Amino acid sequence: MSQAESTWAAEAAAVFVKDWRCEYRTRYALNTLGLFAFTTLVVVSMVLGPVGNTQVMANAVLPVILWLIILFAVTAGLPRIFVAEEETHTATALRLAATPSALFVGKLAYGFTVVVLLEVLITPLFLAMVQLNVAKLDLLVAALAAGGFGMAAGSTLIAAIVAQARTRSALFAVLLLPALVPGLLFAVTLTRAAIAGSDPGVELRMLLLYDGTLTVAGLMLFPTIWNP
Amino acid sequence: MRTLLLWLLWLLIAAIMVGSYLFAPPMKSFVGGGESSRILFFHVPMAWTSFVAFIAAGVWSAIFLKTRKRRHDHAASTAVEIGLVFCVLATVSGAIWAKVEWGAYWNWDPRQLSILAALVYYAAYLALRSQVADDEVRARVAGAYAVLGLVIAPFLFFVAPRIAGFSLHPQPVVNQGMKLQMDLSVLGILIGGSLGFMALFFWVHNLATRLALIEDELDQA
Amino acid sequence: MSTETYLRFHQIKRRFGRLRVLTGVSGEVSVGQVLFVNGANGSGKSTLMRILAGLLAAEAGTVDYVEEGRSFDISERRRAVGYVAPDLALYEELSTLENLEFFCELRGAPRSRAAELLDELGLPHGRLAGALSSGMRQRLRWGWALLDRPKLLLLDEPFQNLDRPGIEQGTELLSRHLEGGGLAVVANPGPLEVPHVAGRIDLGR
Repeated sequence: MSQAESTWAAEAAAVFVKDWRCEYRTRYALNTLGLFAFTTLVVVSMVLGPVGNTQVMANAVLPVILWLIILFAVTAGLPRIFVAEEETHTATALRLAATPSALFVGKLAYGFTVVVLLEVLITPLFLAMVQLNVAKLDLLVAALAAGGFGMAAGSTLIAAIVAQARTRSALFAVLLLPALVPGLLFAVTLTRAAIAGSDPGVELRMLLLYDGTLTVAGLMLFPTIWNP
Repeated sequence: MRTLLLWLLWLLIAAIMVGSYLFAPPMKSFVGGGESSRILFFHVPMAWTSFVAFIAAGVWSAIFLKTRKRRHDHAASTAVEIGLVFCVLATVSGAIWAKVEWGAYWNWDPRQLSILAALVYYAAYLALRSQVADDEVRARVAGAYAVLGLVIAPFLFFVAPRIAGFSLHPQPVVNQGMKLQMDLSVLGILIGGSLGFMALFFWVHNLATRLALIEDELDQA
Repeated sequence: MSTETYLRFHQIKRRFGRLRVLTGVSGEVSVGQVLFVNGANGSGKSTLMRILAGLLAAEAGTVDYVEEGRSFDISERRRAVGYVAPDLALYEELSTLENLEFFCELRGAPRSRAAELLDELGLPHGRLAGALSSGMRQRLRWGWALLDRPKLLLLDEPFQNLDRPGIEQGTELLSRHLEGGGLAVVANPGPLEVPHVAGRIDLGR
């Protein structure tokens, strides 16, 4: 019958395509994330100035600020992943049509690509505005990718949770931030190492482990959150 | 039988309180001749007990997600509530100790920060519960968050303090290279205190859960 | 016995907070039949339909859906039913065709089914779902429900917002569904002209 004919991968891909198609036409998420990130960046830059050439700022402060900007934008823009479905009442149709795990993966892929786009836009701007030089660019890219993935995975799961609550977006940051602490710690340490040009040590592996754990937890918990 | 167990628990905790002042020697490495080290016997067990409480909440939530029985959901949320009390006590006692030892209540020490993150995580759990109207959805959704906590909490309590590099906190003395680094009497009171507080937690938890179930039944009538 | 298809529910109870909405509802329906649920707004009619669709959990009671002798669990039932309800919405930013094709991918129906149904229901392919009139929206809901030719249809206020031709077409689709080996539960706040009604439940105080 119907279930056998739709493959899991095709379902996940369909969800991913649908989300991007809607996003392309409305640009809600990209606008929100971009606006928040850009505004924060401007404020930071105005307050700090081009301090990237100062050793202490480059090593200690600026890596944290970059991640805080990304985090801030994520908290503002990613709840949409599931909250929008509930608010427009399309969640009912999704519940009756999609396999939960495929839905989760499709949404996670969408969230991750949104975060990556944000990072691609914001990071060069950030580096330029604070005049920060990065010694190991490939390590920075790895940190942004792995850290961004962790944020997307956590956000997708937490978005599913808050979509069922009353205050939704307000609760999102409260639930997400403590869960992201491990990933953020690793990501910031890696970014520091990238800027200073030092050896990343075990941090990248730990960050990937964290990402994997969060994804597996999400895959296991999502069906219970999504359906009765 | 129950009364006997309660009396034993009371005796144990009384013994810990007395022993921590009269029996255990002060730890010389601490400020002011080591008398301040006695806070160890309260601060550390509180932290360990809150960790046990949060893990128990995660386990009960997992059980609930399997059985869908109300009492498991109540057990989970009660465990978080009581665990938070212990967590706050651990944070506050830690801050007092920090003031005596290092001169400031808050030092941005990784261990202080990570226990704060855990506190926020589980306070968020309670906030989530208050924001979901339907009983069935609330239990499911909060349960999922508590199960996620099974991954996050161990990290925050045990891994984060060790990886963030520089820390003012005394190095973990119990299992450094599997050798006991501290005086046995100190260790004895520490372990005894931990067991006592954990027993206290489970006793209070049992009462609170039974109360919640009775309230539930009254609501349904 | 081994090729039976039926839906049976027994003593369904559901409350919201202190409000008892369903206090022990039972019913059954088999191939070629319609179970009619009559209930005013607030009587629990939509709650019952949601429970039958697997969108909501009952507090007590059982729902058994068996298709050709095989028992379906709740997640299988969810993806096997065709559901029409007033609060069901599709994606406003996508066209009618894009919407139905998306759901074809999820439900495992051939993509051509989307265009086929739109033509049958007289709906334009390229119009955004957000730009449809309420009558067209209702017809789109029917299209969505019939995508993968489900055996069980759960229709909550199926003729809402439809004009005379729309109602006739809906009735025709339902008859064809029943004659082709399907079964249906129809819920409405008031009487409705529906073929092959084999059972009836009246909800409400």
